[in-house]
Amino acid sequence: MEFEVKREKLVLRAGKQKFEWHIEPRYWRNPLIYVGLLFLLPIVTYFLYPQMLPTIIDANLLAAIAIPLGWMTLGTGRMNFGPQFFIGAGGYAAALCSIHLGWPPAVTLLVAIVTGIIFGLLMSPLAILSGGLYYTLLTLLFPLVFLEVTFIYTDIFKGDTGLFGVAPMINVGSFTLNQLMICLLSLLMMLLYMFIVDKITRSKFSASLAAINDDEEVAAAMGVNVNKMKIISFAIPATMIAVIGWFYAHYYSTFSGITYLPLTFMLKVLMVSMIGGRVQIYGNVVGGYFIAFLELLLGMVVGDYAQVVFPIILLVLLLSLPEGLFGLYRKRRYREYLPTLHVRR
Amino acid sequence: MTEILRVNGVSKHFGGLMAVNDVSFSINQGETLGLMGPNGAGKTTLINLITGKYLTDTGDIQFMGHDITRLAPYKRCKLGISRTYQIPRPFPELTALMSVAVSALYGKDRENQSLEDAATEATHYLEFCGLFSKRNVLGKDLTLFEARGLELARALATTPKLIFVDEVMAGLNPGEAMKAVRLLERAKEEFGVTILWIEHVMAALMKAAQRVVVLHYGKKIAEGPPQEIANDPYVIECYLGSCHA
Repeated sequence: MEFEVKREKLVLRAGKQKFEWHIEPRYWRNPLIYVGLLFLLPIVTYFLYPQMLPTIIDANLLAAIAIPLGWMTLGTGRMNFGPQFFIGAGGYAAALCSIHLGWPPAVTLLVAIVTGIIFGLLMSPLAILSGGLYYTLLTLLFPLVFLEVTFIYTDIFKGDTGLFGVAPMINVGSFTLNQLMICLLSLLMMLLYMFIVDKITRSKFSASLAAINDDEEVAAAMGVNVNKMKIISFAIPATMIAVIGWFYAHYYSTFSGITYLPLTFMLKVLMVSMIGGRVQIYGNVVGGYFIAFLELLLGMVVGDYAQVVFPIILLVLLLSLPEGLFGLYRKRRYREYLPTLHVRR
Repeated sequence: MTEILRVNGVSKHFGGLMAVNDVSFSINQGETLGLMGPNGAGKTTLINLITGKYLTDTGDIQFMGHDITRLAPYKRCKLGISRTYQIPRPFPELTALMSVAVSALYGKDRENQSLEDAATEATHYLEFCGLFSKRNVLGKDLTLFEARGLELARALATTPKLIFVDEVMAGLNPGEAMKAVRLLERAKEEFGVTILWIEHVMAALMKAAQRVVVLHYGKKIAEGPPQEIANDPYVIECYLGSCHA
């Protein structure tokens, strides 16, 4: 594997494969400003209103779930309604190893990754064997079955009380400073996911994914190994989402399936994806922050009615903004080196 | 002439319906073979069997010495088999350029080819099919004629040795149909491809094909030069009824 910078392009050669990405510093200004603002937000919040730090962490993590989910949607050509299954798998694996074996977060991260890969690979044939609504219903079912399992095997998963005593991710002595550190870490994780998925959707790999998304049969007739691409696009994002489960477990020092596996959490994740715009990587960040802050605001303004008002607002937004919030921006500032990959489903 | 494709006793049934029944034929390199038959005769199913959409119930398919009977569709494509569809199926949400680039990228294993290299190559095929000016138009926004051109560009970008053309003239006006036929002839000359052409328009096949195979209710009923086929009483009966035979 070798990297080469050639005529304002970053060229990666791996065996017989070649990948190219443009490097144009004149287009770096806006992304750098936005990333700077994202880093500035928790730091300013820490000094002015530290109670809001958990909301920012939530926003970062929601975006970090929606970003790989976008890749999964594009590459399998199907909408997964149960990404929280992998959060549960990664979270429980990390929490159980931390509590029973006393493993530190760095080691449980590896456990969460391995769990994500195993479950991702085991479930990936779903994307090949079942299509459309059947796939959606099956993926919707898995987290609910997992939730039932956590209730049945209470001695292992501790049912609705959850697992307590997971080693904290960071401990610098002060609670608010801990929150700031975790917030920055969640932001770094979200940016890393954004970078990875962005590079993938701009590589030649994405061309096959977009073709699969449009018409699997034609894609196969044009030489695309559809099954291989689907398995890759299912297993890797599943692993990325499982790592978020690890993050939740060590962030709260507790992990309970009832928090992440029910439909309410799934609704939030899907809304991030829809509001931001499907497979719009930057849109997912906008969507994540929008949903997290909308939830906070509604909680403060309408109290318990938030549970009713929240979905209504989201439904209205979905109907009025079919391309998501980020779609509005993209329409005004359209710039692509290669034509955009659209998503049908 | 070298034989490029051999189909031996291929059959396929869907439930109680025998769609293709013990069909055998071969295609020589550089040849244009016409495949005709009334609606429901099993022409498209036969193509689907050769390109790998369906697997055969019996029989085998040999392509350039390889047994491709059980091969996955993408592997058949990489060996040099490509196709167009009766009802055009462009990638609706991909631009014309990206659609052809996908074929250029994956149609054949090429070393050191990035997406941009493929896009550059795709422009050549789009230009050939007269669609360069439409390169940034989404597949769903193309006209029927343009969509057919895009399908041909996409098929050619896989650098095929054998192309299946499924009713290229269907739905086109006479002027467009003639353009499409000329495009196929040029493709054959320029890229040296062998063509298996399904068509109902006999005049087109009479001009372009060296041989014609006729299917009826999934069975091969005739094979030979177009002139001979056009005068075959059984073929006429199948198409027009016994009073015309």
